[in-house]
Amino acid sequence: MITRRTALALPFGLLAPAAYGDTPPPICVVMNSGEASVSVIDMNTRQVIATEPTYREPSHWALTPDRKTLYVCDAGGNAFFSFDPVTAAPLGHCTIADPYQLAYSPDGKYLVVNALRLNHVDVYDAASLTLVKRFKAGEMPSHLDFSPDGRWCFSSQQKTNALFSFDVQTLEPRWTVPIGSTPAGVLWLNGKIIVCIMGENGIIEVDPVDGRITRRTETGPGAHNVFYDEDNKILYISNRGPGDTSLAALDPETLEIKRVYKIPGGPDDIEIAPDGKIWIARRFAEAVSILDPVSGEFDTIPVGRSPHGIYLSTCLARKGKLTAEII
Amino acid sequence: MSLDRIFSTLAGYMDQYAVLPILYHFHWMEWDELSFDWCLICIYGLFAVIVTYAVCLPMERWRPVEHWPDQKAVLTDVFYTLLNRVGVIPVITFLLFYQAQTWFTGWVVDMGFIPPTLDSLIPGLFGHPIITFWIYALILDCADYWRHRLSHSFRAWYALHALHHAQRQMSFWSDDRNHIFDDFITFVWFFVIGLLIGIPPLQFPLLMLGLRFIESFSHANIRMSFGPLEPILVSPRFHRLHHALRAAGRNSCNYAGVFSIWDVIFRTADFADAYLPTGDAKSPEALATGTYLEQQLCGAKMFFQSLAKSWHALGSRRPT
Repeated sequence: MITRRTALALPFGLLAPAAYGDTPPPICVVMNSGEASVSVIDMNTRQVIATEPTYREPSHWALTPDRKTLYVCDAGGNAFFSFDPVTAAPLGHCTIADPYQLAYSPDGKYLVVNALRLNHVDVYDAASLTLVKRFKAGEMPSHLDFSPDGRWCFSSQQKTNALFSFDVQTLEPRWTVPIGSTPAGVLWLNGKIIVCIMGENGIIEVDPVDGRITRRTETGPGAHNVFYDEDNKILYISNRGPGDTSLAALDPETLEIKRVYKIPGGPDDIEIAPDGKIWIARRFAEAVSILDPVSGEFDTIPVGRSPHGIYLSTCLARKGKLTAEII
Repeated sequence: MSLDRIFSTLAGYMDQYAVLPILYHFHWMEWDELSFDWCLICIYGLFAVIVTYAVCLPMERWRPVEHWPDQKAVLTDVFYTLLNRVGVIPVITFLLFYQAQTWFTGWVVDMGFIPPTLDSLIPGLFGHPIITFWIYALILDCADYWRHRLSHSFRAWYALHALHHAQRQMSFWSDDRNHIFDDFITFVWFFVIGLLIGIPPLQFPLLMLGLRFIESFSHANIRMSFGPLEPILVSPRFHRLHHALRAAGRNSCNYAGVFSIWDVIFRTADFADAYLPTGDAKSPEALATGTYLEQQLCGAKMFFQSLAKSWHALGSRRPT
């Protein structure tokens, strides 16, 4: 059976390596936070084909709204690094204060950056990258997401155990609510906000209107980041410790755990390839693993130290807005 | 599997099964991004200690400068080394100063200045991490030369640094014997430099360990010079002249840590072919042979007394 993801990938030649000709192979870009580099992997051969330098500590990524540039954050180097999203060819870099995680507003007007080390949530004009607004809403802003209508933005404050929301139209704060010990990943899902609470080993569901916690689910120790597989309607949570680490698959409606994959070595960000395999950055294992969600088995590709964010060029086949968390 | 990867694997296990459980127990999970790096520092530090021990000990037995009837004083230096090299002091320092660093860097960024890195200041360096590493190594070693030289120039500062010089049984363990206030000054010194040129890239931990090895080796009780390399690299003979009894205090020589070129350039080099007794005749006995705590207390007392003296001297010079 051909899934929607597979069908969308067909025009890109993703399923027929021999027929590429001059078409570049689909690539995976992995941000090696501990090694000041990104590893570029040919998804067909599963070989690292290039290692591109950054300044210090690449972490997360975002595609520009026109899909022509892949931005990689480098918090320690105070820079954005730009890459061709199809080939991962470097396109340059620019100075930005402490970019850890980032996302474009749905209308593409703003780029919001969490400056984790400096305790800022910075709003930049997306076109010129000039600073429009700086929020000091808490300490260690970690991950962020928007409501699909672009009205609200939500940012987890890792050290102050809070979720901060601001109005994207007025750029005024809406609320900051305590939500639990060390919040990390943030995702808008079905009209609610899902937030990973590392210290409480699970996720919470938050009402985006008033910040009220409406549901809780335990997923595993150190629930860190959240991703949504739109095609298969599965919510994934990476649990990265202490002790054994895992990737939990949840029903997005009921938030019930459907399956837990034991993934050693601190799974962090994930992406899904057109063949349904899940590509996982494993922080402490210095590797990317490719998980077969049916069998639960995975292959491993060694990359640089502390692989963090992961991008698959095959996502370009998807329509609509592309983010690192909707996979 | 490369050495790098073996260390990372060990650090990963240490983090997941020893450090993270502690962080989670005390609700300190916000440090979980960094705890893996702390573990790496510990693992690399432990490796460095083992390698230094394995290389230096046979050489100290083979060509010792001095024979000591007992080595009790050396034991304290072993404690200093373990505290510093397996990551305890760096982690505590990091925790103590993270907030200050965050506040200060945040303030600087608010003023519109985004701290650069060397490879962002000099565009040609970007993409050449090995060259960048060596330039950082040279700049930081030069900065360390001046920090060290200044520590011999100010009475109160030397009162702290005297602890390092007090050791009469100088061995490869002696590199890390420093007063904790002296470590603090070193931290501030390199923090300011870090604001100006950033911190060096961390791709080459083994090279970093190599440089630290030279510092340990230069303290070893070994009769050895580096021949034609003496004006470039600090050898045991070169550094022993810095620790010699006659060189303690304000009129010292050979301040460099790794690259002796700084002493050549700034005219403080002494390449005499001599292996002199080490120590500081003016420092109290507690600094030489006391326990860790006794040395720290004695150093602190000397520091405050010296500060008070300087303060009074300054006061007496003020016009009335």
